[in-house]
Amino acid sequence: MVLSLALAALVLALSSAREGAVAAQEPRAASGTIRGRVELRRAPAGGERPAVAELGMPGPREAVDRRRSVVYLETAPQPAFETPPPGRAVLDQRNETFVPPVLAITAGSTVDFPNSDRVYHNVFSLSKPRRFDLGRYPRGRSRSVVFDRPGVVRVFCEIHSHMSAYILVFAHRFFSITDAEGRYRLEAVPPGSYTLALWNDGAVRARRELRVEPDAVVELDLAVE
Amino acid sequence: MSSCGASASAVVSLLVLAASHAFAGDPLSFWGGRLRLGGEVSGTIAPEDLGFFNYNDYETSTLRLFRIDLMAEARLLPSVSLLFDGRIDNLSEPRVYALYLRARPWPSRDFDLQAGVVPPVFGSFARRRYALDNPLPSLPLAYQYLTTIREDALPENAEELVAQRGRGWLVRYPIGNTAAGPGRPLVNAERWDAGVQARIGVRPFSLALAVTQGTLSHPEFEDENGGKQLSARLAWTPLPGFVAGVSAASGDFVADSARAALPDGASAGEYRQQALGLDLEWSAGHLILRGEAVFSRWRLPALDATRIEDPLDALGLFAEARYKLWPGVYVASRVERLTMAELATSFGPRGWDAPVTRVEIGAGWSASRHVLLKASWQHNWRDGGRVRENDLVAAQVLLWY
Repeated sequence: MVLSLALAALVLALSSAREGAVAAQEPRAASGTIRGRVELRRAPAGGERPAVAELGMPGPREAVDRRRSVVYLETAPQPAFETPPPGRAVLDQRNETFVPPVLAITAGSTVDFPNSDRVYHNVFSLSKPRRFDLGRYPRGRSRSVVFDRPGVVRVFCEIHSHMSAYILVFAHRFFSITDAEGRYRLEAVPPGSYTLALWNDGAVRARRELRVEPDAVVELDLAVE
Repeated sequence: MSSCGASASAVVSLLVLAASHAFAGDPLSFWGGRLRLGGEVSGTIAPEDLGFFNYNDYETSTLRLFRIDLMAEARLLPSVSLLFDGRIDNLSEPRVYALYLRARPWPSRDFDLQAGVVPPVFGSFARRRYALDNPLPSLPLAYQYLTTIREDALPENAEELVAQRGRGWLVRYPIGNTAAGPGRPLVNAERWDAGVQARIGVRPFSLALAVTQGTLSHPEFEDENGGKQLSARLAWTPLPGFVAGVSAASGDFVADSARAALPDGASAGEYRQQALGLDLEWSAGHLILRGEAVFSRWRLPALDATRIEDPLDALGLFAEARYKLWPGVYVASRVERLTMAELATSFGPRGWDAPVTRVEIGAGWSASRHVLLKASWQHNWRDGGRVRENDLVAAQVLLWY
């Protein structure tokens, strides 16, 4: 349900993007910046399913940083769609954890899934924007997936049900993953009126209307209740 | 509403609550993750199994089963957890499948202790994550098929035992409990035993040892004969994707209630179930291959002629393959054989129970992350019993979280 809402939000971002394009025809030289900090006031969800059938405690695992958020523009200027910069990102499998737990990429980008663990992993996704199953492969091997369609892709490991990650695929470049202190920064935003969205832990948690003036910095702090 | 009905309702409510969270992506957790819930709800349908090939010792067909399974883990201390698994089959009375304490005394060492109704250390299949880790709706014969041996009822002679060939779902003997009841499988995957176990890992090996109340055939919460079972499994993982395990178990089998009915001289005998197991798993890419061999030996009292002098041996073998065709879609197959050793009778040597062969092929589709649909066709052959051969088509819907 929540995942669907997040997906709907991103689709909405695409469908309304052309409106944003009309609103933002200023030259890039006069572009502005949006920056701020995200405060998480709710305890991140999470945890593993009970391992009742195991003969012992699970081994040490890297703590999943569920506090990372993605801040993005739900509307974007036209040039961002004409030249979406495809990139390359890495989603590592380390200590039975996906690292990082959240990736944000532009459509057309490639994500590498190296296995850095002693055990097999089997990365897969049943999300509509990109269904894939990489099969089982050992340490030191990596497989790649190209994400062509915008949307939210939830990634799992078939062998280790506690492993999951999100890949947010955008049709534009106006997004930012928060750092360890919750800070984000969107640069080179053409002047215009936008809706800024805050995504965290599987759902859009907040939206704000804002206006970017030429060569201005918009400071906007957000909170996840 | 009866207390049983109230309990069932409470469990169902918890499951629904947990399921709603599951679809948001995470298990239900409380107190900062110190209490976590998970579970499975599965419904399996198939035509009536007139040959009783798929019945378990709860007198239920595993292919005509609605099962609610609730799991919980409470972290009492950083290195001590309490684990619970409760089940309701076909909306009957809830039962405890697992309830035990797990401790890791030295956090930096791969050494664990567990006490209570614990996961079995023998073999591999019984520790798979229930319906989710089983690519087919049925259970392997070695872990489910009911032989004609009972711990609470005993035949007086070989002829009485052989007369029950192929009728393990409902057998009757004159010594001990004289009421008709189900026999026991080689290894019972539908119940876990009570006791203590320890596991130590030294790569690439892992050794698990257990002392429990019952036997592989008849795990139990309360001891029925004062004797304990010792079981162990040594697992070797030389490569990722390959596991080889060898197991052994030995425990007192005959219940005191049956032993008390034996004549003097026979009542003090040792009547044990002993078993050896070999399990293998290899996987790569989209393919998983698994195989297990379970050899079980029971000794029963030798009473009247023709006396059951020899041990009753049985060997269960299965090989299983699963291949994923597309994301969320797989095909699977299992081939099995269960054979029993011959026994001297007045009619000449006869297998003490009827051997069974099963071939099953099926497919699975993950409709979403937490919903798995399975379908299969199985053919069974048995060299004995009223129904010697049958075909069954089964479908299973599984919701897990």
